[in-house]
Amino acid sequence: MKSFFKGIGVFVLLVALHYSVRPLLGTRISVDFLVIAVLLAAVHVRPGVAALIGFGTGLIADSLTPLSFGAGALALSAMGSAASWLKAAVFGDNRVLQAIFFAAGKLAFDIVYLVAERRLGLGDLLVQLFVWSPLSALATGLAGVLVVFVFRISMESRP
Amino acid sequence: MARATRSGTRVDKVVLAACLVASLLALVLPASARQSVAGDIRETFVGPLIALQVQAERARGAFVARDISAARLDSLVLRNAELRDMELENVRLRALLGLGARLRTGFVAAEALHRPELGDAHTVLVTAGARAGVVERSAVVAPEGLIGTVIGVEQESSIALLWTHPEFRVSAMSADGRVFGIIGPHLGRGAGRFLLELQGVAFRDSLAAGTEIRSSGLGSVFPRGIPIGTVVSDITTPGGYARTYLVRPVVMPADVTVVMVLLPATANLESAWKAPAADSLQRAIGRAADSLARAARRDTVPGDSTRRRP
Repeated sequence: MKSFFKGIGVFVLLVALHYSVRPLLGTRISVDFLVIAVLLAAVHVRPGVAALIGFGTGLIADSLTPLSFGAGALALSAMGSAASWLKAAVFGDNRVLQAIFFAAGKLAFDIVYLVAERRLGLGDLLVQLFVWSPLSALATGLAGVLVVFVFRISMESRP
Repeated sequence: MARATRSGTRVDKVVLAACLVASLLALVLPASARQSVAGDIRETFVGPLIALQVQAERARGAFVARDISAARLDSLVLRNAELRDMELENVRLRALLGLGARLRTGFVAAEALHRPELGDAHTVLVTAGARAGVVERSAVVAPEGLIGTVIGVEQESSIALLWTHPEFRVSAMSADGRVFGIIGPHLGRGAGRFLLELQGVAFRDSLAAGTEIRSSGLGSVFPRGIPIGTVVSDITTPGGYARTYLVRPVVMPADVTVVMVLLPATANLESAWKAPAADSLQRAIGRAADSLARAARRDTVPGDSTRRRP
């Protein structure tokens, strides 16, 4: 029960960081705290619940970008559910594999989100997917490992 | 157990499918409906997050604006410092023009170039020489009063000895011509080094603090009536044969960049420094500035029908 409340606290904190630290940095290469929050939750819940968490979080994010409303929910639902299904392969205390896990989640989110929102032209889409998204994924992976380390979050999967 | 797991997996798939379908529906909703749903979510759950984002954006804006503001402030401070210098120079030049207008003839205007070499703090290079009529022992003055005397003359320039030199002397008197003495630098320490001494004043004569001291014209080196300073206090030593007064100079040579070299024909200058406040040139400049300001005001008065007509 204690770890449950701790998990909720970390989740809320990460959502808050997403709307406070990210705008403060204001760079194109940014840490996606929402992705980290959903991935951390997904490791500890069933895929359906992970999809719901991703959907809710995505709707919150989408409410601030009404033109692409639904894209974030779609991407986070799919990513959260997939992460929950793949949690057997989430590798305990191996920091490198954890970083890859967070980075891959961010990359997957970006791909689904950018394709679903249909806002960017082909050139811009390719630049975003092959330049900025990988760099942001790298930053998100490192930040995810830092969060796990700082809050001593267990990455062992639970049913 | 296996059935429960299979059932759970099926539920997960259904929930995932529902989420994906709902997301896709949100994506294809009409713009107005999307706006409405997004607005409802913003007003219910997302309010605190929006507040956080607004604060963060403001903080970032402040960071970015700080550098720009600092650069602007630096430029303003620099310009302000330059303006202050220009203002002082302008005032000095106006005073010099006024003095020139009162003297009418018998002087050469020149620049005084302070020389940075060590050991040469008591002389300045004056940009007027023999070709302009300057001769040795010509008095060098500023609008406020005496600065020094010419000790070397070239064709285009000359060297002036400042009153700070230990051997500088000038015959002086009180402004009313009642008390006479010899002015020389006060060879004190610290701030006192920038004062003068009125030496050799007869014991029967006394001067009150604030008395104006001018050149007396005796000795024919300095014309009569050039302001030198004001009496600060009596510093007569016990057992002396004459009184000595400490005098605050009217002009500090280091502040002067433009000077006038008085030609030998000049004899009595008392009237030139009599009433500097009533300087006619300054008044003329003031009048011109006032009329310009009035004209500018007239031009900017709205509804001035006379100016709208061709």
